[in-house]
Amino acid sequence: MSDSNATTPTLRPPTAKVPLFSLGRVWTIAASTVTQLVRMKTFYFLLAFALVVVAVGNFNIPTTPAKELSMIKKVSFGTMDLFAWLFAIVSTALLIPRDLEDRTLYTILSKPVRRIEYLVGKLGGVLFVVGVSLLAMYAICAVMIYARETAFIGAEFEAMQADSRYSQEEIAEQLTLIQKQGLRAELGIAVLASFLKASVVAAVTIFLSTFASSSLFTIIVSVLLFLIGHAHTMATNFWLHQSDSNLFVQMLVKVIKILIPNYQLFSFSEGVVQGEAINYAVVSQMGMLTGGYLVVFLLLSLLVFVDKEF
Amino acid sequence: MSELAVEVKNLTKVFATGLSKDYVVAVDNLSFEVKAGEVYGLIGPNGSGKSTTMKVVLGLMAASKGSAKVFGLDSGDIRARNEIGFLPENPYFYKHLSGAETLKFYGKLCGIRGPELKNRIAELLELVDLEDAANRRLGGYSKGMLQRIGLAQTLIQNPRLVILDEPTAGVDPVGSRQIRDLIMKLRDDGYTVFLCSHLLEQVQEVCDRVGIIFKGRMRREGSLDELIAIEDQTAMTLKGASPELMEKINALVAEDGKAQVLEQGHPRTTLERLFINIAGKRKENAEDE
Repeated sequence: MSDSNATTPTLRPPTAKVPLFSLGRVWTIAASTVTQLVRMKTFYFLLAFALVVVAVGNFNIPTTPAKELSMIKKVSFGTMDLFAWLFAIVSTALLIPRDLEDRTLYTILSKPVRRIEYLVGKLGGVLFVVGVSLLAMYAICAVMIYARETAFIGAEFEAMQADSRYSQEEIAEQLTLIQKQGLRAELGIAVLASFLKASVVAAVTIFLSTFASSSLFTIIVSVLLFLIGHAHTMATNFWLHQSDSNLFVQMLVKVIKILIPNYQLFSFSEGVVQGEAINYAVVSQMGMLTGGYLVVFLLLSLLVFVDKEF
Repeated sequence: MSELAVEVKNLTKVFATGLSKDYVVAVDNLSFEVKAGEVYGLIGPNGSGKSTTMKVVLGLMAASKGSAKVFGLDSGDIRARNEIGFLPENPYFYKHLSGAETLKFYGKLCGIRGPELKNRIAELLELVDLEDAANRRLGGYSKGMLQRIGLAQTLIQNPRLVILDEPTAGVDPVGSRQIRDLIMKLRDDGYTVFLCSHLLEQVQEVCDRVGIIFKGRMRREGSLDELIAIEDQTAMTLKGASPELMEKINALVAEDGKAQVLEQGHPRTTLERLFINIAGKRKENAEDE
């Protein structure tokens, strides 16, 4: 034992008071999650993958300019959407189990951090990265679409001008048709829809990861739920509206309908990409629904996580 | 009466095993107190309930029965956790962060910001001798360095109580010695230290009071002197004693009739101390060259 026993040291004073809930702590965990995800190789891989597919979508296709633009948008936005939900699942599924496995969670939760702050911070970090990635991809995509649109319009205008069969009205009509499939502000709504869908997917995944034993299990179940969530309408039409379905099946479908988010609702963005008019009532409904899903799944996650023993 | 840093009363923790109705009693009606300013060691073999007790004190687990308080606050209270700095066994922090970033992260979790945090990080990096590795990612740290950055992390918010779970597990003797020196320094700086270990020599060197736990129950508790002193024996270490002097001493003991010499010979250093001496000399020679 040390000789320092002989002297009595002055005891340390109490630490400063901590707030019972702090957005600062949520922000710190979210920022750390962002750093973690940005420095993870999967993130770069998925981004590279998405960029490659966006580039593939810009190949020359032997068809009309309007159809080619439409095809480019379909592939680009489809890839963006795929990237968003897949990234949301994989990254969310990796975060909490890894913290637990590495015992990083012990040191975090032994600080004055509430478990809800940890969950919200983790989810916030994932959503921030998904959002920024979507914006970056949208920016790249927008530049490409605009470049192709400008080139198509120039070429089409010259070709039609040179051909005496076309009147000025016909030329204008053709150019409008191309513009309709070009870069429009409404495309931002499609990006927003992908983001909202990815947010719900991340919230469901974070709920699963609070009780799942492995990241792989969480990823597989989240993907399954995502696929089932796209079959809501089909399942309802098939089982609930058929008189020969027994009560058990009907109850089961109803329970599934309540528990699994209806991801099909977010597919309105496909029409937006194809140039259809936007129904802003549907957009705001999507926003509210996403908020509702986030709150419900965060509460469910907290219910499991708050009493979890490490 | 001195303030209590930790107060564990009749703590029982029962774990259910799987889906069956079987259960395991990890901690059984355990009671002990850690006074503010002392170094308390909870020792026992692996699986004796040390870590479970620690986790209940940290609020990472709930007690099945009984209570655990930290400076009078329930261990589940967030304010109690602000008074605690915790270093788990073999800590793993985010490998993607550097040493300085790790301290910044934990500091911010404790609500420290700006110049205060910056100064605190510099101070702690100096304390644990990791200034040169401050900007290196933890993925490249050795086990000893990880343990030291872990120790710095425990102190970031200037807690009153430091809880260490097997602080020298897996660390080489030199690193182990550094950690022990740091624990002594913590006590001198007024921190209360509560550590769990199964390395008895380590506990003997740093602890004021010790509790011996086995199968979830407290078997012995008290100050180190009380626990390890052999009351009916007296040791004497002589330097430069000639054979003649030894003969005289032996004759005196024999004359007494009651006392007897139980052991006589050259005292031995421990292998650990020998290793540290050699390693220390090698280091000094290398620096001289």
